[in-house]
Amino acid sequence: MRDVETRPRRYSRIIILAILLASLPLIIGFTLLVLSSFSTDMVTNLNPSSFHPTIENWINVFHGKLATTGGIRANILRITLNTLIVALGVAGVVTGISALAGYSLSRINFRGRKHMMVLLLILHAFPGVALIVGVYLLYRLTFPQTSDFVRLYSFVYVIFARAALEIPMSVWLMKGFFDTIPWEFEWSGIIDGASRIKVWRKIMLPLIKPGILAVALFAFLAGWQDIIYVRTFLIDQTLATFIEANIEAEFSHMPLIAAAGTLYLLPTIIFFITAQQILLQGYSGGIKG
Amino acid sequence: MKMKSIWIVALVFLGAIASGCISGGGGTQTSSATVQLTGDFTKDAVSIGKVLEQKGINEVKFSAWGSGDPNSVMRVYGIVEAARRINRIWQKNGVKVKIVVTETHYVASFQDAYKEYLSKQPLGQAGDFFVNSYAFLPTLADEGYILDITDYAKAYQSVINDFYPSLIDASKFKGRLYGLPQDTEARPLYIRKDVAAKIGFNLNGLDEKVKNGEFTWSDVYYWAKKAKESGAAEWGLIHRKGSAHPDLIQFIFAFGGKLYDPNTGKLVVDVPAVYKWLYVEWKFARDGLLPEDIMSWDWAKQIHPTIVEGKTLFDIGGTWYWTEWQTKQYYHGRGLKPEEVKKWFYYTLFPAGEKGDKPVTLSQPFVWMINSKAGQQNPKYDELKNIYHELAFLMLIKASDPDINAIHSVISAHLPVRKEAAKLIKDEKWLNDLKNLNLDLDPTVKDNIKDIVKATVNPINAQFLANVSYMLEYTHLAPAHPKYPALADIFKEAVDKVLRNEMTPKDAVDYIIQKVKADPELAKNVEITGEIPKNWKFPQQ
Amino acid sequence: MNKDRLTTLSFFLSPMIVMVLLFYLVPLVMTVYISFTQMRNWNVSKYLTEFVGFYNYHRLFYMFQHDPTFKAVLLTTVVFVAITLVINVFGGLTLALATFFIDERPASAFRLLWLLPRMSPIAVYSLVWYYFFHGSEIGTLNSILMKLGVISQPIPWGQIVPWGAWSIIIFVNGLVGVSFGMIVFTSALNQIPKELVIAARVDGASSWQISRRILIPMVKWHFMYVLTWQFLSLLTTYPHLFLLVQWDLVNGDYGTTLALYVFNTAFGMGEQDQGLAAAAAVLLSIIGIIGGFVTLKVLQFEKMMKRPRGDF
Repeated sequence: MRDVETRPRRYSRIIILAILLASLPLIIGFTLLVLSSFSTDMVTNLNPSSFHPTIENWINVFHGKLATTGGIRANILRITLNTLIVALGVAGVVTGISALAGYSLSRINFRGRKHMMVLLLILHAFPGVALIVGVYLLYRLTFPQTSDFVRLYSFVYVIFARAALEIPMSVWLMKGFFDTIPWEFEWSGIIDGASRIKVWRKIMLPLIKPGILAVALFAFLAGWQDIIYVRTFLIDQTLATFIEANIEAEFSHMPLIAAAGTLYLLPTIIFFITAQQILLQGYSGGIKG
Repeated sequence: MKMKSIWIVALVFLGAIASGCISGGGGTQTSSATVQLTGDFTKDAVSIGKVLEQKGINEVKFSAWGSGDPNSVMRVYGIVEAARRINRIWQKNGVKVKIVVTETHYVASFQDAYKEYLSKQPLGQAGDFFVNSYAFLPTLADEGYILDITDYAKAYQSVINDFYPSLIDASKFKGRLYGLPQDTEARPLYIRKDVAAKIGFNLNGLDEKVKNGEFTWSDVYYWAKKAKESGAAEWGLIHRKGSAHPDLIQFIFAFGGKLYDPNTGKLVVDVPAVYKWLYVEWKFARDGLLPEDIMSWDWAKQIHPTIVEGKTLFDIGGTWYWTEWQTKQYYHGRGLKPEEVKKWFYYTLFPAGEKGDKPVTLSQPFVWMINSKAGQQNPKYDELKNIYHELAFLMLIKASDPDINAIHSVISAHLPVRKEAAKLIKDEKWLNDLKNLNLDLDPTVKDNIKDIVKATVNPINAQFLANVSYMLEYTHLAPAHPKYPALADIFKEAVDKVLRNEMTPKDAVDYIIQKVKADPELAKNVEITGEIPKNWKFPQQ
Repeated sequence: MNKDRLTTLSFFLSPMIVMVLLFYLVPLVMTVYISFTQMRNWNVSKYLTEFVGFYNYHRLFYMFQHDPTFKAVLLTTVVFVAITLVINVFGGLTLALATFFIDERPASAFRLLWLLPRMSPIAVYSLVWYYFFHGSEIGTLNSILMKLGVISQPIPWGQIVPWGAWSIIIFVNGLVGVSFGMIVFTSALNQIPKELVIAARVDGASSWQISRRILIPMVKWHFMYVLTWQFLSLLTTYPHLFLLVQWDLVNGDYGTTLALYVFNTAFGMGEQDQGLAAAAAVLLSIIGIIGGFVTLKVLQFEKMMKRPRGDF
C-alpha cells in the first residue's frame, strides 16, 4: 500500500539515501560474492588484481561439479528441483494450516483457546534440532517396507515435519492478521446465510493477502534453507545440503561456492517477486468491497 | 478439557512408539545361504554368482558413499571398477548376473558424510560401501553400523598381508577387522630451497639427519631465525590454521609424548610433551618467525600463497600440497609447474623435538567399510544376506587391487596402502600408461578422472610419492577415540592463545587441564600424566 | 458445544492439532525422555531403554561451573540476545516504515536486498562476512578503511575481545533477523486502511507524525509478536554463529552463545550425542519460556488476547 501523492518528493529521496547508507555493507558483501563467482580467485578486498575473470565456475556449477578438477558431477537440476519441491511443499502446508487455525483462534471463542495459544508459544521455544530424535523415531516406525515408495515418503515426511516447526509462529501471525479485519466484513456474509467456512474462504482470505504473503515467504525460506531435517530424512539432496557438504575450508574452491550460493539465491528471489505480485496485486487494503 | 486429552493421546502414542522400537530388535531366524570363501578369487566370485543365479537374481545393486578432496574420487570409483571386474569374471564364466552401482555419493567434508551415514544407516538408506577416516571406525563398529569382515578375510590372508601392518591395525576394532585400508598420507616438513640457499643452509642429506634425530626443532628455530633476520624470507615457519589436529599434534609425538594409553583405553594429556609443544609455538611467534594470528589465516589467500611465493623458509604441510600447488592458482594467479615445485621444495620428516627424540609424521588413513546392511536394495535380502555380504567383501578385495590403489595414489597425491601398489608407482611404463589412460578401467571412470590425470600425472609427481613413502615407517596415528575431537579442540584453543600471547605456555597447559576436567565425560576418558619440566630451555644449543 | 460448532471448529483446527501432535508434542515428550538417556549416534535400539537419570543435566551444570570459558559464554549470550533483539525489532520496524513512505519500486528492491541474508545458504552467508571482517589485509572492511586512510594496519576485528567479536556476531545475525520484523511489519502496515493515512496527509501531518500517531499504534500486536518470537529464536539459534567461530573469524570465547556452546559439545566433536543435546534443549527452552512469559506479562498480553468479537 502506498502513500498518497501529497507526500513531498524531497522526503522520499532522503529516506532512500538513508536506507542505502544503512545497506552499504550488505550491498558490498553480496556484490563481492557475485563478482567472485566470475573470478578464479575470491575477490575480498578492493585490490583489483585479485579479480581474474572467468566463467568456468558457473559452467562447473551447472554441471553439478563443486570442484575445478576432479569431483563427481551431481545432477544440479535434480537437486534444485528437490529443493523446490520441499520449499513449495512446506510453504503450501504451512500457509494452509495456519490460515485455517489462525482464523478460528481469532474469531471463535472456545474453551482452551488461550491455553492453545500459550502452548503454541511454548513449542516455539524448542529448536528443531532438539525435536529431531522424536521425529526420527516416528519416521523409522512409519517407514514403508517396499522400496518404491521410500523416496516419495521421505519427501512427504520432510515436508510435513519441517512445516510443523513453522506452524506455531505462522498460526500466531495469521491470527494477528485476522484480528485486524473489522468484524463487519464477516457479519454481512453470515447474515446472508453463509457458513463459517464459506465466509473464511470467500471474504476473509482475500483480505488477508499481505499476511499470507508473509507466512508463505517465511515457510518457503524455511523449506529452502533447511539442512538438519533434510540431511537426516531426505534420501535425495537439496541445494542447501549439497553446498554445505561441499564446503571444506581446506581445499574447496571458494569462487565455485560463491557461484553455487548465487545460484541458490535466484529461485528464492523469483519466489518473493512472484508471490508479491500475486498476493499484493490490486490489493487495496481494508477498503470495503 | 482439550489439553488433557491431548496429553493423554501423546503419552499413549509415546508408549506405542517406545514399545515398538524396543521390540524391533528381535526377528525370526531364517536359514540364509552362504558360500565358503576359498581365497581363489575367481572361484569364490563364480560360486557366489551361481547361488544368486539359482535364486533368480540377475542384478545386484550396490551404492558407494565416499568423501574427501576432489581428486580422491577413486574412493567411490574404485567400487565401480571393482564391480566391473567382477562382472567380467562372471561373464567369462557364464554366470548371468551383473553388479550395478546405483549411486556414487561423494562430498567434500568427510565429517558431514559421517554424520549422514550415522543417521541414515539405521533407516537402511546409507551407502552399501562407505569410505571414511579410520577415526570413525571404532564408533561405527561399536554401534553395529558396519560389517565385521574378520572371518571373510581369513581366506584372503595373502591380500591382507600385503597391506602395511599399521594400516590394517587402524582398520580393526577390538581385534576384529572391519574394513580394508583405502589410502593414507604423510605430513612432511617442506623447506624452500631458494630461501635456504640465501642463508647458507645446506640441504644435502638433511633428510638423513632428520631421520636419525640429529636435526631437531632447535635447528629449525636456528635457521628460521636466520632466514627472517637476513631478510631472505618474511617468515621462518608457516603451518595450518583452524585446528591443532592433525598437523600440530605431531609435536607431541616429536617430543616423545603420547596421546593414548592402550592399557586403559583412555586418551592422554602428556604434560611435558604438550608443554614443550606450546613453548615452541610460543617462542616462534614471539620472535616473529611464525605469524601470531596464523590460526585465523585464510588457506587460499594467505597460507598457500605465502608458501608458494617463497615468503617462508619452513612449512608444516601435507603430501597432497605437492599437487595442490599445481592444480590451484596460488602463485600470482596461476598454478605451479611440477618442475617449479621440485626446484623449490625440499621435504623431510617432522623433526625430533630435541636430541634423544625421534622424527615423526602423522597419517590419517581412510578405510573401505561395508554397511552392516549391505545389499539391502536387493530382493530376497533376508535369505541371501550372507551372500550379499560376501559379495561386498569380494568387491572390497577387488577395489584394493594394486593398480586401483596406485591410480588413486598418483592422481590424488596420497600414499599407497599396499606394497604391490607401491611397486607400481615406481614403474615408469605403468605411469606412462596411466598418463595416456591406457588402462583396464571402466569407461565412465576413465572419463571422469581424465582431467585429474591430465593435471597431476607426471614423472616428477610420481617420483615425489615414491620418495616420501619411507615416511610411513615413522608415522603415528591420532587415537580413534570418540572423545579425541573434543580434546583436539581444546589443544587448538591453547595453541591459539599461546600464539597471540594471551597466555604463557605454562598457563596454557593449566588451561588445557582445566578444560578437560570441566566436562565430566571428557575427564573420565582422559588421563593427565607428568609435570611441566623445570629448567627446560628452547632452543637448545 | 453443539454439533455444528464442533464440526466447524474441527475443520479449522484439526490440521494444526494433528501436525502439532505428531511432529511437535510427541517428539517433545521424546526429547525430554531422551535427555535422561545416553542416546547417541542415532542408535535408537541400543540406547533408548538405558535410563541414566540426570546424568546429562549434571554434566551440563558441571561444565557451566568449571569451564573457564563459560563466564564469557554467558555474558556473550546476554549481550547478544539483548542487542540483537533490539536491532531486529526496531530495525525491522524502521525498515518497514521507511519503505512504506517511498515509491513501490525502490521499496520492493530494498526489501529484497534485506531479505538476501535470510535467503542465502548459511555457509555462503557466513563466507561473505568471513571475508568482510577478516582481520588481515584481505578483509573487505580493512581494505576499505585502509584505502580511505582511516587506518594504516589491518585490524583483527573478531579478535578484539569482547566488543569486536560481539559486534560481528550481532551484526551478522542482526542482518538476518531484521528481515523477519520488516516483512511482518510491512504486511501489517499494508493492512491499515488507506483512508486514515490520506486523511492525516490532507491535514498536513508529516511522515513522522503519521508514523507515531497512526501506524505504530496499529502494529502494536505485531510488535509484541515479533519481540516474543525473536527472543525465543535468538536464545536457541546457533547455525549463523557456528561457522564464524569455526573459521576463526571471531574469538571463540566471545563468539559463542549458550546455544552454540551446548550444541557444539553435543554435535560438534565427531560424536552425535543426542542425549546431551536433548538436555541442553530442555534447559534452553525453559529459559526461553520463562523469558517469553515475562515479556508477555510486561506487554500486557492479556489485553491483546481479548475475547474475539466474531463469536456467537
